Amino acid sequence: MVLSGRNDAFEPLVTPYRQPLLALAYRLTRDFEDAKEIAQEALLRAFKHLGRYDTSRSFRNWLFQIAANAARDRARTKGREAAALAHAGRELPQSPDPSSGRRSREFRSDLDKCLSVLGPREREVFILRDIEELDIRETARVLACSSVSVRVNLSSARRKIREAIRDKYPHLEEGQ
Amino acid sequence: MTCRKAKKAIPLLAGGDLAPRKERRFMAHIDICPSCRKELEGYRSALGRAKASAREEKPGDWSESEWKALMAHITAGRGGERTMVLGLRPRRALASGMAAVIILAVTVLFVKDTMFGPHKTSPVPGPDVVSVTMVSQETGLQVVWFFNKNFEWKGDKN
Repeated sequence: MVLSGRNDAFEPLVTPYRQPLLALAYRLTRDFEDAKEIAQEALLRAFKHLGRYDTSRSFRNWLFQIAANAARDRARTKGREAAALAHAGRELPQSPDPSSGRRSREFRSDLDKCLSVLGPREREVFILRDIEELDIRETARVLACSSVSVRVNLSSARRKIREAIRDKYPHLEEGQ
Repeated sequence: MTCRKAKKAIPLLAGGDLAPRKERRFMAHIDICPSCRKELEGYRSALGRAKASAREEKPGDWSESEWKALMAHITAGRGGERTMVLGLRPRRALASGMAAVIILAVTVLFVKDTMFGPHKTSPVPGPDVVSVTMVSQETGLQVVWFFNKNFEWKGDKN
């Protein structure tokens, strides 16, 4: 219906995925404001490129793919901004980070602690496969990489999480 | 099957990400190896803990007014690529159209050339004899070679 020009049909189409999309964006960024912007960008892109949607595929996974790309774009932009700020910071006096208290180690969630030991790609693969429970093939499709690459990163991510729980956060192991 | 090999596969085995045949092979080893079994249980427990943490986490949601505003903002735009021509996506339709025009142009040129084009004339015959002259700048000596049309040397003249 949206493809035939009925814009009002878009909202009922995406409403069931509103929360999962925001949750995925949050898991990828660990920042609620960033997550909101990423999910918003993903919805905008989905509406704009709805004609490219392959109907043989899960709509949720297609939205996840767009959100993962938007999160990567945002991380890249933020990296550039951080580098520019760091460069400017050499000349300016250092001010305390307002979010440092909020994101201090004590207040981080258990999942945060687990994800903090992973690299960006490992984190994406782990979240999609183990948290969102996509299969290996769909994870590879969402991340535009091969199944072999997904398996390699997944294996490494699980190993790191296992080691982190055993060595750094043993209380998580006990909490099971 | 060695423990070293099994331990490499345990992270994938813990999440059920090995092919059934491979999984059976590794499980046969794990059934008889307490160390690998303990390792597999450790991985399963860590994965379970991470999944439970994700379930416990409440990442929040848009407020209803935010969501309505977002939907209004998105659907107010023109939605770029949504119009389809003859069931084709716009980019594909454009590419197909261009390809059809090119094929048509090539066909027209070919037909025009073969059916209505001018008849080919025989090539103009080249000269029968070619001469090459070399002049020395120091002594003024001239050497002239004469060749026939097959570039066979005929003789020289000073």
